[in-house]
Amino acid sequence: MKRRLLAAASAVTLATTMAACGAASDSSGGDSEDGPIKIALIPPTSGALAQFGTDAVKGWETAVRLINAEGGIDGRKIELIKKSSDADPATTLRVAKEAVTQDGAQFIGAVMTSPEHGALNAQLEGLGAMSFNAMGKDDALVGEQCSPYAVHVVQTTSMDVNALAASLTELPGEKWAIQAVDYATGHSAAETFKAAAEKAGKQVVLEQFAPLNTTDFGSYITKLKGSGADAVFAVEFGADGVAFVQQAEQFNLDAQLKTVLGLNMVSEPLFETLGDSIEGYYNNVGYDAAGDNELNKEFVEAYTEDHGSAPYYVPADNYTAAQILFAAIEKAGSSDPAEVSEAIKDLTVDTVVGEVTVRGADGQVLRDSYLGEVVKGEDGLAFDILTNTDAGVTTPEPDSACKF
Amino acid sequence: MNAAQLLNGVALGSLLMVLSSGLAMIYGLRGVANFAHGALYMAGAYIAYSVSDRAGFWLALLVVPLALAVLGVVLELAFFRPLQHRSHIELGLITFGLALMAERLVVLIWGESTLRVNPPEFLQGTTSFVGIEYPSYRLAIIVIAVLLAAALIVWLRSTSIGLHIRAASQDIETAAIMGINVDRVSLVVVAVGAALAGLAGALAAPYIALDPGMGNAFLITVLIVVVVGGIGSIAGAMIAGMGLGIIQTVTTVWSPSLAVVVPYAALTIVLLWRPTGLAGKRVS
Repeated sequence: MKRRLLAAASAVTLATTMAACGAASDSSGGDSEDGPIKIALIPPTSGALAQFGTDAVKGWETAVRLINAEGGIDGRKIELIKKSSDADPATTLRVAKEAVTQDGAQFIGAVMTSPEHGALNAQLEGLGAMSFNAMGKDDALVGEQCSPYAVHVVQTTSMDVNALAASLTELPGEKWAIQAVDYATGHSAAETFKAAAEKAGKQVVLEQFAPLNTTDFGSYITKLKGSGADAVFAVEFGADGVAFVQQAEQFNLDAQLKTVLGLNMVSEPLFETLGDSIEGYYNNVGYDAAGDNELNKEFVEAYTEDHGSAPYYVPADNYTAAQILFAAIEKAGSSDPAEVSEAIKDLTVDTVVGEVTVRGADGQVLRDSYLGEVVKGEDGLAFDILTNTDAGVTTPEPDSACKF
Repeated sequence: MNAAQLLNGVALGSLLMVLSSGLAMIYGLRGVANFAHGALYMAGAYIAYSVSDRAGFWLALLVVPLALAVLGVVLELAFFRPLQHRSHIELGLITFGLALMAERLVVLIWGESTLRVNPPEFLQGTTSFVGIEYPSYRLAIIVIAVLLAAALIVWLRSTSIGLHIRAASQDIETAAIMGINVDRVSLVVVAVGAALAGLAGALAAPYIALDPGMGNAFLITVLIVVVVGGIGSIAGAMIAGMGLGIIQTVTTVWSPSLAVVVPYAALTIVLLWRPTGLAGKRVS
């Protein structure tokens, strides 16, 4: 009896929730046309990614401040609804539903990880909200997990690897060793890199994979030293990356290497932890802070004024997401997510990272990728951008698994 | 297989040796699988990070074991002693809960991002040793661990408290009947065990990267070392720790994905072949 009551209660709750969903998406087409345009930000605010979450919000804040100062879009102001998550897909999904159904948000930003985006993408159409992904890099997000309501602002992992492969001829070193993490990303990156190395006439002398969460890289580094390699392509993330860099330094591995090329291994937030030993390391870079265009200069200035520090890729990519969204709303002449998602297809926007196009087939933003070298500047370490690879070279064809 | 790879194994083995001897001591005396041992090791590494940041690494190597010994005393007085008549599984679960809490505490104090500790200036870089260039810091770990192991064995074998510890580890009730103050012995053992975990953490700090998951990563391996060594046997744990470090490193050279299962394979083989572990019933 109790169980039946519970089932009935759940059914009622479910029905009410669904009705609320319907009501919310109906209303977004109706009365929301004259009120403020609402964007929900759902960054992680605790845990390892909290810093990135905070910085993502800062990017959106600057974008919104600037557009509201110009009078908003078609006379309507933009309003940010700041929520928080713990980077768990279930939490993010719950918060997203709350933001859309209760707070009336039509757009979602600042969601961090690929699993969160995967879960969110599956629900966007039902919710009647659009998501702007400026951080999750998984290829599947524009493949089988794609959604017509999701825009993939950041480069995918494939694009990152392809950009490095395209710049390979520029890098010193003839005998390359590959040190990668033993899961899908590591293996596919190694494959792409090997093909590119062959094409560039370079030799791959060693290829080794370390399980995720490896703490002792001693035996890997000893093998690297013994292989006679004069360059290393490293795909190690987070704590693994830090341990690898630190132990390589202790083994004095750098002495025999002309090049250490990382894939998402060193980035601005890790500069302080990694220290001066990474000076001269190469890594893929998604955003060039010194980028020579008016919009970027305006952004860097406004961001620094707002937050007291210069932007790096996380705020910049989120700012770019905002720019694309604003342009799409303007083109659609409406803030109804259904209309905006139509208007955004194949839309070309001038942004802080240059002119970009939202590919209609999968929502991937076609934008340049860079190769950077870590150099010591006046304010500590920074990336010096060496090469710039066009999206036409880096971006794979739309995945056939993505069907809108 | 070259000498550098062998040294890699010995360095990892040294770390396992220090870490597992502390666990073996507590296990031998209290009969409790102290699941908080990984957390003590992690706490040692993080405290070493803060101390060496302000006052240098050598001071950290001194302060950390002392701080952890105090923590060990608290552990003994607050949990092990009042709960000594409860079943071992209950006490084990309590230490497991403490470990989970410690992990959150570390995140709250130091944050979740990865940290690193630099070795002292003169131990950075490499030293020429038997014809190979090898990281000086790893050589230092090996030397410190071997000295420590020797000191521990001498302490257990030739002091009266050592005698009491060995007696109580064999049979705590008979030892009490014979007039040994087992509460005092237990307090010393848990304090020293925790201090050793902390020391291992401090030694590991410049070796590996610090993150809040570092304790759990090592805990399983160390528990296996203790069982393989012979439950409660300190010398057994030391030999098993060193052996496992070397075997695991050698396997990594050959096949990294196979190396992950080495500790479990070793556990299975030893338990089938010698259920009491390598050392049998000997304590030290």
